[in-house]
Amino acid sequence: MSKKEKKPLDWQTDVQLDIPEDEIWTYQVPGLAAPHINKPYKYYNFKKAIFVIVIIVAVSLSIYFSVMALQNDTFQYTATENGLEFSKFSNTGYITELEIDYATNIEYIPGNNDPATNFKIVKDETKPITSVRQFTLNCDDKITTITIGENVKFVDPKAFYSCWALQNIEVDENNPNYCDIDGVLYNKDKTEILCYPCDHDEYLRKKFGYEKELYMNEVTPEYERDIQTYVVPSTVIKLGEMCFNYANLRKIYLPEGLKRIETLAVFKLHERIDQWSTNPSLSNVYTYTADNIEGPHFTSDEALGDVYISLPEGLEYIGSDAFSYNQNLTYVYIPETVTYIGHHAFWDTCYKEDGEIKGVSVINLAVSEEEFERIVVAGDHWKPQYDYLLFKKYIDVKFDAERE
Amino acid sequence: MANSEKASLFDKGKELFTELKDHWSTPAEGKYVPYKEYKDVIIGVGANYAGSKTLEYIGFWSSCFLIMHHYKLPYLTFSVIGLLNMPLGYISALIWWYVCDNLGFLPKKTERKVYLTYGLMMAFGISTLMFDFSTLFNQSGSFITVLNSFEGMNATACFKTFGTHFLYTGWVGARNIFWRKKLIPKYGRYKYSLYCDVIPKCVMVILIGWLPVYNIPDVATRVWVANLLFATYNVFGFGNVLEECSKRISPNLQERILVRSYPVKLSHIFNSILAIILPAVVGMLRHEWADINFYRWVIPVTFCISAAFTMYLSGRIKERIPQPPLEKKVQIKFWDGMLGVLKNKYLRIKTIVDLIDALGNGMLPFATILYFYTFRLSGLPYSLIVALISFAGTPPDLLSPYFLKRFSYKQIMIFYQLTRAIGNVIIAVAMWTCGDNLALCGTICIAVLFFMEMTKTVPTTAGHDMGVRINDYQMYLSGERLESFTGIFGWFTGPITSFIGLIIPIFLLKYGFNSNWEILFYDGSRRNIIIIPIIVDAIGFFLMTIPYLFWDYDNKKQNMVMEVLKRRAEVTEKKAEEEGVSVSGGYKG
Repeated sequence: MSKKEKKPLDWQTDVQLDIPEDEIWTYQVPGLAAPHINKPYKYYNFKKAIFVIVIIVAVSLSIYFSVMALQNDTFQYTATENGLEFSKFSNTGYITELEIDYATNIEYIPGNNDPATNFKIVKDETKPITSVRQFTLNCDDKITTITIGENVKFVDPKAFYSCWALQNIEVDENNPNYCDIDGVLYNKDKTEILCYPCDHDEYLRKKFGYEKELYMNEVTPEYERDIQTYVVPSTVIKLGEMCFNYANLRKIYLPEGLKRIETLAVFKLHERIDQWSTNPSLSNVYTYTADNIEGPHFTSDEALGDVYISLPEGLEYIGSDAFSYNQNLTYVYIPETVTYIGHHAFWDTCYKEDGEIKGVSVINLAVSEEEFERIVVAGDHWKPQYDYLLFKKYIDVKFDAERE
Repeated sequence: MANSEKASLFDKGKELFTELKDHWSTPAEGKYVPYKEYKDVIIGVGANYAGSKTLEYIGFWSSCFLIMHHYKLPYLTFSVIGLLNMPLGYISALIWWYVCDNLGFLPKKTERKVYLTYGLMMAFGISTLMFDFSTLFNQSGSFITVLNSFEGMNATACFKTFGTHFLYTGWVGARNIFWRKKLIPKYGRYKYSLYCDVIPKCVMVILIGWLPVYNIPDVATRVWVANLLFATYNVFGFGNVLEECSKRISPNLQERILVRSYPVKLSHIFNSILAIILPAVVGMLRHEWADINFYRWVIPVTFCISAAFTMYLSGRIKERIPQPPLEKKVQIKFWDGMLGVLKNKYLRIKTIVDLIDALGNGMLPFATILYFYTFRLSGLPYSLIVALISFAGTPPDLLSPYFLKRFSYKQIMIFYQLTRAIGNVIIAVAMWTCGDNLALCGTICIAVLFFMEMTKTVPTTAGHDMGVRINDYQMYLSGERLESFTGIFGWFTGPITSFIGLIIPIFLLKYGFNSNWEILFYDGSRRNIIIIPIIVDAIGFFLMTIPYLFWDYDNKKQNMVMEVLKRRAEVTEKKAEEEGVSVSGGYKG
């Protein structure tokens, strides 16, 4: 057969079937099953019974296993080499205070039909909790206070992730590893801040006597000072992973001895515009030089020694996404001591409005371009970008800059 | 170019023009579709497809931007709702299949009973929304405490969600009978739904953006109210029905593939343009995907325009399945439908494939994570990269008729599963070994996505074509297409897949994933959240090659099946005419 005379594919096969009129419903195509139309089935009832039984068993098993998988014990623990680890907390919807000291269970009170009060939390004091796993609380919106007991040796920095209603974390004063300063979690020697609760501003409002939350345009200087300003103690050398994320803060004062700002440490701080919407809140970070500052409450610049704007001299490490989504931030100065800047460290800290770049419009670097290339390890897209035509453009970097 | 070649090209062009002109309104010998209808397919299917794709931005699932940025519903809550809806879903499916596969034409007595059932379901559903039935139970008993322990829910929300499903099922079921009977004789079995659904759908699309349900502060209340809103939205469909219709546009296999490969493919260009424009528009909004104005203005306007074009052209696209007239069609009894589809060997093979495919259920969309959380894309750059990757599939798709002629369905599908498996393994290795290097890892991932898209479109076309052929085969076996009764396979696989589908979401929670997708900015979590599900999925793709080894339905068999169907249509219509019965909805081919 020549190349041009190809064998016709079965696709093109012209099929002609001669089907008598009385066989149209029964004619069987060779190689396929015979039609079965308006004819009784063999073992009809038996087939139906088998069918129904299989389905009922399959559905029942599925529902059972799915409920088992979805139903969460309120408190879940895992035994580890170092003791009992608190691994998962699933709120019943009515627990607002959580004590992490001993293995705990829920007992319901018979006869009480009010779901908010019909349970009690029972502790087993023979089983002390020694650690708290990452994401033990994840997006909980009911817990307002967490108390950490004296036996807890390790709390993962991501243990209380996105607890929207969390106002306070209190630590037993006998705990040798952790402490709190007015509801904010630190390690014992206060060299690392671990968690500033998402709704800490609510606690501060109660403390300072504010009756309600003030929205963005209503904020007074006193409110900003009492509620939206935080002074990190002078002993702190590290801002832990995600420690300030989603906090309602406009100003953060950092000590000059700070060395590291970890991943997502100051991520997406925000405040309310109205009842439903939020806006970025962090307007600036400042550095102070005094070395005896313990309290987090801001009183005056004078009390903090010399105060200058932006990141502290002596800072070495800025983690990835450390300051992302803080579009209200206006000034960034990176001192010469910084040797590492993580990817997207200042992502989305600027935007364009009415043709003008707002937020961080320029990054100020203490070092020259050559030194920066030589000394600093910088991740991808560490600089913010703004809308440029239909694309994005990096903001300018000013090398050899002087601090404002 | 030599003069003779130029002349030859010119002659071919002239020939094509003459062919188009001669058969613009009447099809050529042996063909069924005039070229004028090709034009209508391009615009009509294009508008319908673009509209239905626009609606993919709205959905009651965790990866919908509306849910992600505004409703903020816990991730596992969607599984809980699925579980609550499962038992009723099984029962209501029975009635649904029976009604659909008889095209809404039921014996009078049965019809009354079905309406009554649906009416009672709606009444029960409305009563659960008006009253809190959970208070009838002991609040400290195990039943209520189990309901309270579901993530994002409480007993009240569980009852209301359960009732919403009753309301939804009753409402949809009653409409199904009413509109099928009224509209199928006139518009056919695929596109009739457009005529009854399009206006309420437009209204619901507008309401979804404007009703501030996401502002309800209590999460459990927000869950059930959102579920009610989205259930109402889902009562009205706007599926890609004109494309479904165009898959049945001709009884001629070659013509079907031709329409599927050229006019239908060309019609998708409207959506490709939209897929570039919409994200670019989003990029201009202050809060990008998190901006509610996207749902208030951009989506409703885009959808309503697409819907208008769809309706204008839908009447001009015809389905041409050889079938007896509706008055003489085979009446399918419930158990005959059930057992009829179970007899279909090819549906059984596909069911096994679907079962294995469930291994990847619950995983997050990898490409979305890559674009938004690894690359941080938005606006036009996002549109362009998405367009580039989707375009990868277009050139091979234009060659679909060639591939479908040269390779069997079995070969194509085995190739498809293997390319998915290999692609997933490469992505997992890249993420594991160089995940920190965004440029390198990202480039590898984009290249793999490009390759996977390129190798996807021909199998997709083959799959669609085979789907229609399996229905033809079913019609040969049972006298009806029994497209709805094929849902019975889901009864067997559903319980298993719904349980398997919980494994990945529960695993994701351990790495901090929840309604707050922003944990994906954290490198450690992002890597684990992506890699492990991808490996599980890759294993599934390898396993899925096995069932296809048993596939033996070829073109010759299909041609013979079509001959049988044509003969049945011809004989029944002839008989009906002899009996003096007025006939509608039949097609002899």
